[in-house]
Amino acid sequence: MCATLRHRGPDDEGVHSDVASGVTIGARRLAIMDIDGGHQPLCNEDGSVWAAFNGEIYNHPKLREDLRRRGHRFSTNTDTEVLVHLYEEYGEAMVHALEGMFTFAIWDQRSRRLLLARDRFGEKPLFLHEHDGELLFASELTSLLEVKPQLRELDPYAIDAFFVFAYVPGPGTIVPGVRQLPPGHLLSWERDGGVSRERSWWAPPERGVRRRESFRSVAAEAKLLFAESVRTRMVADVPVGVFLSGGVDSTLVAVAAAEASSQRLKTFTVGYDTGAVNETERARAVAGRLDSDHHEVTLTQADVAERAPAVLSRLDQPLGDRAAIPLHALSEFARPRVTVALGGEGADELFGGYPRYRWLERARRLQSALPEVAVRSLGGVLRQSGRVRQAARASARLAPTPVLERNLDWVTSERRHRREALYGPRLAQLDRGRVLANLATQAGELDGGTAARWLMHLDQVHYLPDDVLVKTDRASMLVSLEIRTAFLHAGLAELAGSLDTSMHLAGAGKALVHEMLPPGIIPAARFGRYRKTAFRVPAAEWLRGPLAPVMSRQLEHGVIYREGYFDRHAAEVLVREHTASTHDHSDQLWPLLALGLWADRFYGLDGA
Amino acid sequence: MDSMAPSVSRLRERPRLLILTPDFPPAPGGIQVVAHRLAAGIRGLQTEVIAPDSPGAAQFDAASGVRVHRVRGGGGLRGGRNALLNAAALKHALSFRPDVTLSAHIVTSPAAAAIRRARGSRTVQYFHAEEIGAKPRLAAFAARHADASIAVSAYTASLIAAAGGPPERVHVIANGTDIPSDPAPRPVDRPTILTIARIEERYKGHDVMVRALALVLAKVPDAQWVVIGDGSLRPGLEQLARSYGVADSIRFLGAVPDDQRDAWLARAQLLAMPSRLPAGEFAGEGFGIVYLEAAAYGKPVVAGNVGGAVDAVVDGETGLLVDPLDPLAVAEAITRLLQDGELARRLGAAGAARAQTYAWSRVVERVEALLLAQLDGGAGAADGQRAREPEHGGS
Repeated sequence: MCATLRHRGPDDEGVHSDVASGVTIGARRLAIMDIDGGHQPLCNEDGSVWAAFNGEIYNHPKLREDLRRRGHRFSTNTDTEVLVHLYEEYGEAMVHALEGMFTFAIWDQRSRRLLLARDRFGEKPLFLHEHDGELLFASELTSLLEVKPQLRELDPYAIDAFFVFAYVPGPGTIVPGVRQLPPGHLLSWERDGGVSRERSWWAPPERGVRRRESFRSVAAEAKLLFAESVRTRMVADVPVGVFLSGGVDSTLVAVAAAEASSQRLKTFTVGYDTGAVNETERARAVAGRLDSDHHEVTLTQADVAERAPAVLSRLDQPLGDRAAIPLHALSEFARPRVTVALGGEGADELFGGYPRYRWLERARRLQSALPEVAVRSLGGVLRQSGRVRQAARASARLAPTPVLERNLDWVTSERRHRREALYGPRLAQLDRGRVLANLATQAGELDGGTAARWLMHLDQVHYLPDDVLVKTDRASMLVSLEIRTAFLHAGLAELAGSLDTSMHLAGAGKALVHEMLPPGIIPAARFGRYRKTAFRVPAAEWLRGPLAPVMSRQLEHGVIYREGYFDRHAAEVLVREHTASTHDHSDQLWPLLALGLWADRFYGLDGA
Repeated sequence: MDSMAPSVSRLRERPRLLILTPDFPPAPGGIQVVAHRLAAGIRGLQTEVIAPDSPGAAQFDAASGVRVHRVRGGGGLRGGRNALLNAAALKHALSFRPDVTLSAHIVTSPAAAAIRRARGSRTVQYFHAEEIGAKPRLAAFAARHADASIAVSAYTASLIAAAGGPPERVHVIANGTDIPSDPAPRPVDRPTILTIARIEERYKGHDVMVRALALVLAKVPDAQWVVIGDGSLRPGLEQLARSYGVADSIRFLGAVPDDQRDAWLARAQLLAMPSRLPAGEFAGEGFGIVYLEAAAYGKPVVAGNVGGAVDAVVDGETGLLVDPLDPLAVAEAITRLLQDGELARRLGAAGAARAQTYAWSRVVERVEALLLAQLDGGAGAADGQRAREPEHGGS
């Protein structure tokens, strides 16, 4: 089981079995701290508590100091050992003392209890299979399936959800018998009786709080927390760099990292040889002002032809986030130079960076102000004047659609409405309303708050852990590089979550960045042009170019068409129109490609 | 403006002291208490006070025996109110002719400086902490135009110096505390951690307390955290408590009358307020009078190891000073005091003894001596008895 995880931890492997109770925990390690002494699993002084751990505890030096004062003796310099002693002191409440990204397992031999925990934001994965008093867990789905091959089947509802979102929403997985421990949760499992109890130990603040607070003092607090976050994330016994997209968030990370670093900072960026999007110039400008040791890699079309199929098929669950490809290329390029890289992920979700929040809030207010009849007649007028497409769009944008659906259609390019045409017989009978119903359950009630804040919270528990962080973790760990997210810091998230929504909506996030950036890094006059561009991807061009042959092979042999999940003919039409450049269907074709390549490998058909 | 008739009888044997303050009881707050205790307690000078009007002021003044000139108006604008206050102070000084002016807050320093210039009289300026960070230029002005400055802690003294005030004129005199007539502990059904502070400023550390509480409860499951005070950060704090799953162990009491507050001081096992240094140019805890108030009730204290708290609490003797940003350190200190009754009693007793030296009567004596010294020694008086060190405690 551990061998499957080699890429996540190439440096070491270990297993501890408690023969009497039939419990085994194992770990593979990517050595970052105490490179020689950190063999896992680790135990306490008398061998009664064992821990296996994936991730980083950024405040472990401080925790170690506190625990030493209380008389605990340490034999290594690793964060894993801190977990063992912290557990002895505080039991499962120990999670509250941890700042970092992690999943861990702690086996307590005395109470014959296993504790599993996952970090606040869901940066590190934890998959579970529970059956008849037996519990299996692993950092990757693939490892579980290796132990239990009988679990290897696809959940049609998960495929449906995947097509709509382009990721598999947790806590479910693509496999019916396996689930994920949700972010900010822990699970305690009793060996005797085989019962488990799962509970939330941290949740992002749900709504902003209206209050008067000077912007300057919030900005000062945010700056302090952010600097602290970056400083602690720079600590490693291996080289650390920064992934610089040229956008505001990663620029902030680079600035803070340069300040915290005693050596010249290494920065990395990725560009393309096709498409209109290229951020290398901006990243280069920032790097120049920081005087960093800057590296650029160009992701060529030839490279994409090989890399995309390799990455998309090797992920443990399908992922339709196209940015996984450049992130993988960047990680692979950076890996010989650094083992750890800081990234700007999560800033948009915490600080309301997506313009969508503002627009949907406005739309909701407009909707309550605008009578439905007016919307319908506007649509009618446009239709009669022959502008059918505009009419359809205006109606869609202005119609009294619930804000949740409006948001969903915005972020998914309305893919849920394409299902009818594209689904094959295997998916045709599904209850198509279930995706939205599940989403609504997760979103909870809007309950008097603002739509913007509500959607930010939804993104923090849905899109962030199941797409952004999956991409970040998997794409980098495939090449054994660790990305540390500078914005996903508990204190910073709690500060951001407590801000008045009006502060977010008034562009305070941007203003905060202004306040936090030293002058001259981004010229003020150009600030307005720094829109959301973080690692944008020329996927439409790739699908017409280097990935066109991959797509046609898919259509011909792909298991998702052959097994009747998707309708081959309908997909062919999309491909034809896209290739002829009369349409841009990349929003539908990319998820199909990602799922198709992944499913082929899942069924052992890749390379066929 | 509501002007009292100028005092007719001039008691030549006692020098005249004019106290200028933007805050005075019955309005609640720390500066209010300082100004009032000084005005009521100073005997060697003939004292009058200039303060803004507030609801219930007339009754309060009639009962208090302090001569207060209340200034009305300024509307809802703080700036306007302060301008009127300064103007009224200057006008009153022309008839009262103070020998020394005590400005209780830097916002009254313009009038104090003008009086000093117009009359050649002495001026003493009070500094707390927060205001220096908020208005560093005014703070520097106030310090430069005063013959002596009173800093409530060594931390405040350092803030004055950092703002550009002349350090040689700074005297550290800590705030005082009221010594309770009945400090005996009262029974309480659960182990109780008490925090008393407005929930208005992040630096008071309520957020770290929430995180720490999650750890404390692992060891003392029936512990409760009683939070006295209100403010605009409270809803966010309540949300944070839910997010950590500790809401059931917290009692937010809001602002409560003094007798209820005192009752909780008598009940609680300890007071915890891990104040930190705020971010940016903002200043933190000037002294933290509440630490002493708890000590006066024989309660041990958990406080941050930064800012004015290091003057108010002696680490390991009257309380435990910890890294205020480290929830684990805060939790361990609290847990120790909850679990080790002997330790809690020892620290509490030492705190109560130390609090005696901070009784208001003692603090008033010190301030009065400083004021009189300004008159005796002329211009050089302040330099002659400079006191950079805390005048007591601290060591």
